[in-house]
Order: sequence, then C-alpha cells, then structure tokens
Amino acid sequence: MKLKPKTLAMVLAGGRVDELNVLTYYRPKSAVPFGGFARVIDFPLSNLMNSGLEQIAILSQFRSFSLINHIGSGAAWDMIGRYRGISILPPSTGHASSSWYRGSADSVYQNIDFIRYHKPEVVLILSGDHIYNMNYQALIDYHKEKNADLTMACLSVPKENAQRFGVANIDDEDGALGGRVLQYKEKPQQPKFNWASMTIFCFKPEALLKTLTDNAQADTTFEFGKDIIPRMLADQRRVYGYKFNGYWGYTRTIEEYWQTSMDLLGPKPKIDLEAWGIRTNLEHRDIRDYQPLKVGSRATVHDSLIYNGCVIEGTVERSVIFPGVHVKPGAVVRDSVLFFNNKIESGAHLNKVVSDVNSSFGQDAMIGEEGAASEHEVTVLGWDNHIPAGTIIGSDCTIYPHLRPEKFGRAIKNGEIIR
Amino acid sequence: MNPINKTLVLLLAGGVGSRLNILVQSRAKPAVPFGGLYRIIDFSLSNVMNSGLTQVGVLTQYKPLSLMNHLGNGAAWDLAGRSRGVKILPPRTGSHDSDWYKGTADAVRQNIDFIKAHPSQEILILSGDHIYHMDFDQMIQTHRQKKADITIGMMVVPKEDIHQFGAGITDEDGRIVEWEEKPKVARTDLASMGIYVFDTKYLLALLAENREEVDFGMHLIPKAISRDNVYAYRFNGYWRDVGTVQAYWQANMDILQADSGISPEAWGIRPNVEAGGRMADRCPARFGAKAKVENSMISAGCIIQGEVINSVLSPGVMVAEGAVVRDSVLTDDCQVGEGALVDLVIMDKQVQVGRHAVVGSGDKSKVNELHPSHLYTGITLLGKAAQVPDGAVIGRNCIVSPQRLPHDFPSLHILSGATV
Repeated sequence: MKLKPKTLAMVLAGGRVDELNVLTYYRPKSAVPFGGFARVIDFPLSNLMNSGLEQIAILSQFRSFSLINHIGSGAAWDMIGRYRGISILPPSTGHASSSWYRGSADSVYQNIDFIRYHKPEVVLILSGDHIYNMNYQALIDYHKEKNADLTMACLSVPKENAQRFGVANIDDEDGALGGRVLQYKEKPQQPKFNWASMTIFCFKPEALLKTLTDNAQADTTFEFGKDIIPRMLADQRRVYGYKFNGYWGYTRTIEEYWQTSMDLLGPKPKIDLEAWGIRTNLEHRDIRDYQPLKVGSRATVHDSLIYNGCVIEGTVERSVIFPGVHVKPGAVVRDSVLFFNNKIESGAHLNKVVSDVNSSFGQDAMIGEEGAASEHEVTVLGWDNHIPAGTIIGSDCTIYPHLRPEKFGRAIKNGEIIR
Repeated sequence: MNPINKTLVLLLAGGVGSRLNILVQSRAKPAVPFGGLYRIIDFSLSNVMNSGLTQVGVLTQYKPLSLMNHLGNGAAWDLAGRSRGVKILPPRTGSHDSDWYKGTADAVRQNIDFIKAHPSQEILILSGDHIYHMDFDQMIQTHRQKKADITIGMMVVPKEDIHQFGAGITDEDGRIVEWEEKPKVARTDLASMGIYVFDTKYLLALLAENREEVDFGMHLIPKAISRDNVYAYRFNGYWRDVGTVQAYWQANMDILQADSGISPEAWGIRPNVEAGGRMADRCPARFGAKAKVENSMISAGCIIQGEVINSVLSPGVMVAEGAVVRDSVLTDDCQVGEGALVDLVIMDKQVQVGRHAVVGSGDKSKVNELHPSHLYTGITLLGKAAQVPDGAVIGRNCIVSPQRLPHDFPSLHILSGATV
C-alpha cells in the first residue's frame, strides 16, 4: 500500500544570496527566473514530482511573495490531492518560541510540530536553490539500506574550489554509490577532501529531531552544514554520503548564473529541460495566456531558447529569452538572458547582459562590450529600468532596480555600479 | 447579483465541418487545432469569458471526445467555480426527447431542462466554429435597450458571398424587416453570423410552437421577423468561418500578417494548455546554430534546426537540420526529417516526414481526385500520425490519410491530386 506518503520533503527556499546581487533584492534565490520560462525552485520541485514524492513543505522567509505566488496550489507539480500537497511554512509566532528563522536548521526546528504531525519514515531536506536532475528515490533507498541517521548527497569538486562548500570525506563502503562519512568540514580554508555537500539531506526523523533540539539548546548558530552534520558525527550517528555524478548548477554568482544559463544551449545541452521533465506553474505571471513566439521576416535566431509570447524581429544569438520579450528590427541580443517583458528597441545592442523583468532598452543603446563572451564579465540590470536611447553601458556593470532615467545621462564604464 | 439579470450561453459545437476533410475525421470542427496553441472553439469560449458571461452549455453531437477533453472543467476560461460552469450537452434518450439533434433549434429544444435549471433573462446562442473577437456584453446591452425579442449578430460581406449566409434587410432603427436564408440573388450585404440573443421567455415560447421547426436560420428566425421584434447588431472586424481547407490555411497565415486584423493574444484568447496533460511541460522553443526562421509563429517545445518560413508551428514540432518548411501549418509534435522540404502543407498532429522527402511539389492546378471541392488551391493534407517515407515525393492537393505508415505508400512518388 502506497497511499500515504512515507517521506516528508522540506525545501529550504528562504534565502537570498548576496552575490546574486540585484536579482535577489525582491525575491529569494529560489524564485529567480531560470531556463526561459521557469524558476530555480522548479528544478527541485520537478525532481520531487518525478521521484514520486508528494508531501512537501516549503520553508520561506525572505521576500516570499513571489515564491508563494509561484507555488500557487501546487497543482503544477501534481501536488494536490488527498495525500499530496505543498505547504508553505513561513516564520510564525507561537507561545513557546517566536522568531525569524535564524538559519536553515532553525527553520526546520521551528516546524518540528509539522514533522511530528506527518509521522514520516524519512525527512528529506533540500535546498531550493540549485539546478540539477536527481531521482531522490535512489537516495532514499540507499539511506534505508544503510539504516543511516543521515544520508547526504555529495558531488566531487576540484579541491581548489572546495573551500566554497561543506566537504566530506567519504569511505569506499559502496564504491561509486556512496559510503560512510568519516569527516566533514564546512567551507575549509585548505580542503583535504572534495565531496561537496549538495544540501540534500535524508534524515531519520528521530535523529533529526534530537539533533535539532540539542543544537537549539546548546548553540548560537543553526545551520545544517556548520552545526547539524558535525554534531551528528560527534554523536557517532550513522552518517552516509551518496555520490552524485550528474550536472549540478551552483548559481551563487551572476557569472555562474549566466554560465548555467548558457548550459541550456548548444547541440547537446548539459541541462535538458525536456529530458529532465521540468514543470513550472503556467498560472504565475499568466504565461499560459501568451500566443506562440512570433518571428519577424527579417529576424535572425540562432542557438537560443525562446518561450511563447515573445516577438523577435531583430537578431538573437546564444541567448535565453523569457515570455513577453520584444526584440525590434535591427536590435541585436547576444550571449544574454532576458527575463519577462523586456523591450529592446531597434538598433540597441545587448552583449552578455542579464536583465531582470520589465526593463526597456532605447534605440541604439549599447549594453556590454562587443566581442567574445569569454572576454567580458556580465552586466546585470535590476527590474524595471528604462534605458534611454543612445545610452552606453560597459561590461561587468551592475544597475540597481527601478532607477530614474537621469542615472543614465553619461556613458557608464566597465565595472561601474549604478544605484 | 440577481440571477434573473443573467445571460445563459449555449454554444453549438455539433457541426461536422466535413469540408475540412481528414482534419475532422476524428474530432468535431470546433476542436480542430488552430494558430499554434489554440483550437477553433477557444475563440468563442474566450469571447464568452471576456464578456463576463459565466454559465455555458456546449451542445455536441459529432465526435465530441476531443472537444470534451479540451474543455475539461472550464477553468482555462474561468468557467469553474460556485456560480460558473461549462457543461457538455450531448444528445440523450428520454421519455420525450430521444433523438439525435436534427438542427440548431432542435438541439436547443432538447435541452430545455438545462435552460430551466439555469434561470436567465437572455440566452446567447452562438457557434463554436468561427475565428473572431466580439464583446457579447455590448450586444446584450443593445438587446435590452431595444427591448428586442431576438437580436442577431450581423456583418457586412461582399454581395457575391451573401448566398452562403442568412441575409437581413433592416430599417433605420436596426430592426430586421425582411429575411432570406441563403439567397441566390443578393438584395443586401448584411449577413447573419449565427449569433443570437434571445429573450429567454420568448425563446421558450417560440420553441414550443411547432416541433417540426428544427433550424433557427431556416424556420424560427424568418417566422419571428415576420411578426416580432428582431434587431440586427452590427459587427465590424475580423470574422472567419474556417470551414474549408483553404479558409483554414488562410486564417492561420493571417496571424502572421501584422495588418490582417487577427491577433489571438491581443484579443485575450485563451487556450487550454493543460488539455492532453502534456502541454504544461513544454520547454521554451529551441533554435539551433543553423536555424533560419522568417515570419512565423513558433510554439513552446519546438526544436528548430532547419528553415521555417511563413509557417505556424504548434508545440513540440521538430524541424531537423537542412529541412525547409514553407507556407505551412504544422500541429503538435510533427517531425520534419533532415533535408526534407515541406511546401504549402497542413499537417495534423504527430506526422513524421522522412529524411529528404518532399511534400508539396508540382502542379497546383491539379485538384484532388477524390475531393475536388476540398483541395484545389495546392494545399496538401497529411493526416494524424501519418509517416511519409524517407525520400518520398508528394505532389499538390494530395491527401495522406491518418496513421498511414511508410509501407502503406504505393510508391515513393505520389502525384498531385492523389490520395494515400
């Protein structure tokens, strides 16, 4: 009998990421648009759906309006039914404890009642911030087979990059599948091992609740990587690493976000939205109501992803274009990611630009230096900017959201930040 | 809101539309795909939604499965909710009315129980067959102002086309004083669009008069005009009955022209993207490094590696490298193989064109031998899930029936006007 779900999945979707800059001023990282029609959180949510996991909680705190809108009823991921559902768990006041979430582990700790209520056999806790395709069922199977207290998904990274992650030393108990975690260090200065935690954790509920409670009583920080994993290892708990070897988009900087977007393109894209079975909520921003993409008679479209509701009359190359974007005749968009409803007037040139929603680029505006994408850094624009005709903005610039047009009265040099 | 101020909508979706040939072999005309993402009935249903009307009965008869699947619970047109609904009304057996619908008026007559179950002041009757954008609320307001028994949506058509329509002659107040159903000689250019607002009590009384009167245009409307208050409501704008292969193709091409007057998005036309269950998963359209696209509509989920010119592509269409698609309408999940050429073709869903095949070549004046009145302008039709073999050459005005596999083709050369 598989009617009632045995796994409770909790998605950590509350965080903003400083390095993503203007893209996360008004939304959490998990709600950042990605892939020409979707949001980052659609990747873990689609993975959950495709893994047959149907009882989901989303822990959100930062600017969660966009996220709540996006989740809607959960029907987009088939999460609506008698035993299927998505609950959004924001911070709340209560008679025992009431505070903002003080960290990833605290957000789960504050919802201990919710976990107890569901009586799951397994609690799967994962970040809503990453781009990847994983069958969580395989991870859960391994977790159960090892009778582990915690099984964490890990990815092998080059040692020189490992200081950005929590890294584990995993033994060879099950070869390429996984093994016991012998040591773990959160963001080490000089990494000695290189299995990076992907922030995907399978917990035995009893072990999770006990460790969270101990941590809440004894510590002053409340993070899974920094506090919970080391505490479980110190308690001699059975902690296992599950070795993942697929694609993982860790989009924590604008440059990484851009590169991950470019991985959607090419003859054999590293991110295959179709094969991965990615679903989004078509009700959000009403993208279901757009007509098909319209390509004009003098348009050029190469090596790009473009969704319904766009009108392309100019040139688009190596770019990802979200619904409602209009590229007018003679405009050129290269190596760029344009979020919903950008308007590019004729003669404007965009080179390696990431532009948030509802911005416009006046005639003959030049954004980003011409030339190969590898030679320049990304210029990023916050939402709702209206760049006057003829404006020149260099590469590696940051334009804050919703600026007055006077801010663009002069040429903006490479690397400038306009706020 | 007082329920008695409401207008109930009856949408006639039973038409066969046989001149659309194999496009209506397994579905009713209103369910035929159109404009990349839509079905023909989406235009009527969206007009209903955008006019603020909330109760709809859809009268079906011919092959309604595809249509029922498409309508779902009506949520796509905001017709699901406490006081909202869209109901399919197929013919039923019963103690009194037990027969197939014999005509438009007969279909309504057989659903009097539905009309009585949804108290209304007026009943709006329209067809699910047409491509247009119209504010029914304005029409209903005019109907009320004139205190009319019936108000008929009418538009000006060229006099040489009037023989296809019901034609009305009006006085200066807009009242219709004379009516001719499909007149041979044109005395007016004002044609009925088959859109009627009836006062509900009046309609019920009219239907009760004579059960032999089964058609609105032929029987009830002429009778009403001769003795009651029947007004014309004039419509100006794009309106097409896409009942022929040529008209269907032309209306699709019209969407590509900026000044043609048809614009599904600006009109607020909504498709049901969830119908069929798969649409929601469609990714953005993907264009390869050698893609060339001109003046075309491309839906989500398409993969374009070759050339697409003056064409309308539904979700999931693949055009391989070196292939060329020109002046064509390709519906969901069609695949055009490497190096193939597709010229002036309408493809039903899931058609596969083999590598280096040519579909649509040769003499456009050679009409289809089986259906000369359906295919005579050069358009070739490929039926649902047909597979054109690698290297085949198919002429103009040809028909490939649904599900034909490569071994069903008598030869690799199908001459213009032939049917496989």
